[in-house]
Amino acid sequence: MASEIGKKELTLTQKFWQLNWGLILIISLVASVGFAMLYSAAEGSWDPWASRQAVRFGMGFFLMVVIAVIDIKFWMRLSYILYGIGFLLLVAVEVFGQVGMGAQRWIDLKVIVLQPSEIMKIALVLALARYFHGIPIEDIGRIRTLIIPLLLVFLPIGLILKQPDLGTSLMLVAGSGVIFFLAGVRIWKFALVIVGVLASLPVAWNYLHPYQQNRVLTFLDPERDPLGAGYHIMQSKIAMGAGGMFGKGFMQGSQSQLKFLPEKQTDFIFTMLAEEIGLVGGLGLMGLYALLMIYGTFIAVRCRNHFGRLTALGVTTTFSLYAFINIAMVMGVIPVVGVPLPMVSYGGTAMLTVMIGFGLLMNCYVHRDMRIPRNWREM
Amino acid sequence: MILSHWKKLGYTTKPVKRMTLSDLKRQATLQGQQTEALETGRTRLMITGALMALAFTGIGFRMIDVMALSNVSEPKTRNISQSQNLTFDRAPIVDRTGMLVATTVKTVSLAADPRKIMDPQDSAEKLGQILTDIPVAKLYKMLSRKAKFVWVDRRITPTQQQKINALGIPGLEFRTQESRVYPQGNLMAHVLGYTNVDNKGISGLEKSFEETLTSQGEALRLSIDGRVQHIVRDEVQKAMTEFQAIGGSAIVLDANNGQVVSMVSLPDFDPNQPGKASVESHFNRTTLGVYELGSTFKIFNSAMALESGTANMSSSYDASKPIRIARFTINDYHGKNRVLSLPEVFIYSSNIGSAKMAEAFGAGYQKDFLQKIGMLSPSPVELPEVGRPQYPKTWRPINMVTISYGHGIAVSPMHVAAGVASMVNGGTHYQPSLIMQDTKPKGTRVISARSSKAIRKLMRANNIAGSGKKSNAIGYFVGGKTGTADKVKATGGYADRARISSYVAAFPMHKPKYVVYVMLDEPKGNKKTFGYATGGWVAAPIIKQIVTRAAPILGVTPIDPTSEEVNRELALKLPQDSHT
Repeated sequence: MASEIGKKELTLTQKFWQLNWGLILIISLVASVGFAMLYSAAEGSWDPWASRQAVRFGMGFFLMVVIAVIDIKFWMRLSYILYGIGFLLLVAVEVFGQVGMGAQRWIDLKVIVLQPSEIMKIALVLALARYFHGIPIEDIGRIRTLIIPLLLVFLPIGLILKQPDLGTSLMLVAGSGVIFFLAGVRIWKFALVIVGVLASLPVAWNYLHPYQQNRVLTFLDPERDPLGAGYHIMQSKIAMGAGGMFGKGFMQGSQSQLKFLPEKQTDFIFTMLAEEIGLVGGLGLMGLYALLMIYGTFIAVRCRNHFGRLTALGVTTTFSLYAFINIAMVMGVIPVVGVPLPMVSYGGTAMLTVMIGFGLLMNCYVHRDMRIPRNWREM
Repeated sequence: MILSHWKKLGYTTKPVKRMTLSDLKRQATLQGQQTEALETGRTRLMITGALMALAFTGIGFRMIDVMALSNVSEPKTRNISQSQNLTFDRAPIVDRTGMLVATTVKTVSLAADPRKIMDPQDSAEKLGQILTDIPVAKLYKMLSRKAKFVWVDRRITPTQQQKINALGIPGLEFRTQESRVYPQGNLMAHVLGYTNVDNKGISGLEKSFEETLTSQGEALRLSIDGRVQHIVRDEVQKAMTEFQAIGGSAIVLDANNGQVVSMVSLPDFDPNQPGKASVESHFNRTTLGVYELGSTFKIFNSAMALESGTANMSSSYDASKPIRIARFTINDYHGKNRVLSLPEVFIYSSNIGSAKMAEAFGAGYQKDFLQKIGMLSPSPVELPEVGRPQYPKTWRPINMVTISYGHGIAVSPMHVAAGVASMVNGGTHYQPSLIMQDTKPKGTRVISARSSKAIRKLMRANNIAGSGKKSNAIGYFVGGKTGTADKVKATGGYADRARISSYVAAFPMHKPKYVVYVMLDEPKGNKKTFGYATGGWVAAPIIKQIVTRAAPILGVTPIDPTSEEVNRELALKLPQDSHT
């Protein structure tokens, strides 16, 4: 019995060895695929993308390990504060953020340029997990209990929608939905919300920006405007089709190397990979993502405390949504929304978000056997 | 055991109190719920995981479909032919007579790669003898810069090119590019618009026909007649100078198909050098500007009265007293203070009479009618610069009254010209167009031929007995209506001395061929006009000049002014003859 209690008090070294090394291996593999593709995108050069991406991955890796070994209760305590900071930053973006590519999403902190909506992806998961952790199971059925978490979700989403960033908003809704589901909210309530959303779609359509309407129309019929809004998707499909079973070879993709393919180092990097390494490569990368997802799910299953389980699955869902939406987008399964391919697309904030997410996931794994009571703060 | 288990769960670290039986029971149920919750949690977790796995499998299959099974790639040949299309030079634009008004020429520019220039000083001196307008010192500076690329001169002549080539200086290079040239300069500035440095249309027809101009080889033919355009621009310019107006606008429109023969907005600019002109001169008053156009609207008001059947040519209206609506009082400018017939209301431009006419057919009819003749939506003319008309959201009685004499609604001059054409041509509305059409466009009937004939008589009578006498071009039977409206100040309310004076006319009035519209922005009266700056004094004379000069070009032959046949056609018995 003493040994069981002792598990709560692992030493730092013990915790280090408790890290999920299989998971770390897969993460590193995915990131390496990213470096290779960025190297190819720059026509066989480490500059300007691959080298910087590697540095960011290194920073992210360090963060991940540090986050993983800190006591899980520390993160629980910090969750509302993080959420508060994220929310304030979103407000700050609204007030004096930078406008880039037609949207106001960035905030310049002099040292780094920050995208608060990314912070919110993690902070919201933590805040919701902590809230539901503290709710007695018999209270979960009450509508009154759901008011606070709903506010937690929709206040930041309102601000992000205003930026405007539809993709991130939808991801946050989906991610939070999963946590609500896991927390035990009744199925009929979800059905109610889904029906409500479907019913309000025609109204919402009028509130979309013309460019967003265009993307949806183009999604329904990419040939509508092959040189304009449909250009991305047409080029993407052509490049993929050109790849075939084994691809044209590393750094040999004509569509991507000759710059027919736009945004090949960021949102459309998967297309480039598919063209150069073919179906085999594409399915391989998807396999790695699927493995990460399965790992995440099982960590959640293994977790004995509610907070950890919700956090683990929330993070896994967010990550999987990233991958799913990006890959589905470049294949024309869903409309074009600006979501990067996690750890492969060039971009700092997204990389850090994902690595912090994995840090939390591993933290849940390291502290999987720790039991945290509902009223843990009174202890 | 249970206790120690609880303790392990961390539910209490305080000294364990002695437990009563009920406490134990409660904890047992709690534990049951806890386990149950854990179970639901697990199930739901697995469901979520499975759903995500399903989504991944789904796109996996889609990927196999896209990459291995289907042949999504477009036919490769189509791509090639498309890129060939793009190499077309930008097509020229000609006026209706075939005169070239916009064309593309290949020009050569001189660039240099300073790293390859071996002796900058010597090269600069040699170049300076050929490019005489650039000082040698400046050339030296350019050629010795630490850069891979510098522009030396963006446009050099073929002779200069040949001489420079003969110098044989390594590191210099020629680049050919297309430049848009407008041989007529300012003449059609607001019609044509202009292109940016990349030869892409960014205003006027150059913008709205960007795709046509870049994808087809043949010239775009306008309905504008360069000769008429020149006359119109000349006359408006003269009048602007004479009356110190800040702007002017004029349109000549074919009354029977909506084709615009001339369209002028002043001040204008030289599209060859659009950047050198003031911002003000880039503003197209004719289609983008919307103005309260005042009494010219009485043409439409009379047509509504006749067409709705609420009045005929002998209806009369008591204009002896001002009328009050809400907190407003409606007065007449040229008050007669008696009962007026419908033609008199028109000729004396009685606001009171117009208001009473409108009260008879009502606000709903008025709004529908204006909608029908296109007054409530941006003009369909092919320019990107079209202004949205301004009118009240809710059409209250006071709005109906002011709109009856052209206040409280702002439209562009193009709206008025197209609207008046439909009133006088027998009752068919045509959309105004700047492009030459091979076939007669299909119009929509808006008033009956009978009402149209009545309007023609009214407009002609105004030129004989009313405010339009100064627009009479002898032999062309001009008829029209003045409009003078005070401008709305930026602070709200009407400005005192800033007004829009306009005249809209058609000729020859017994069988109208063209509608002519002229407007001056903020004209000032002078000695010749006894200080007046109203439409009848400043705009009407321009019409006379334009008609006299342009009618022969447009093929309208003058008629004997005493022709009995024509005069009978336009005869209108004015009751006031017997009164005064």
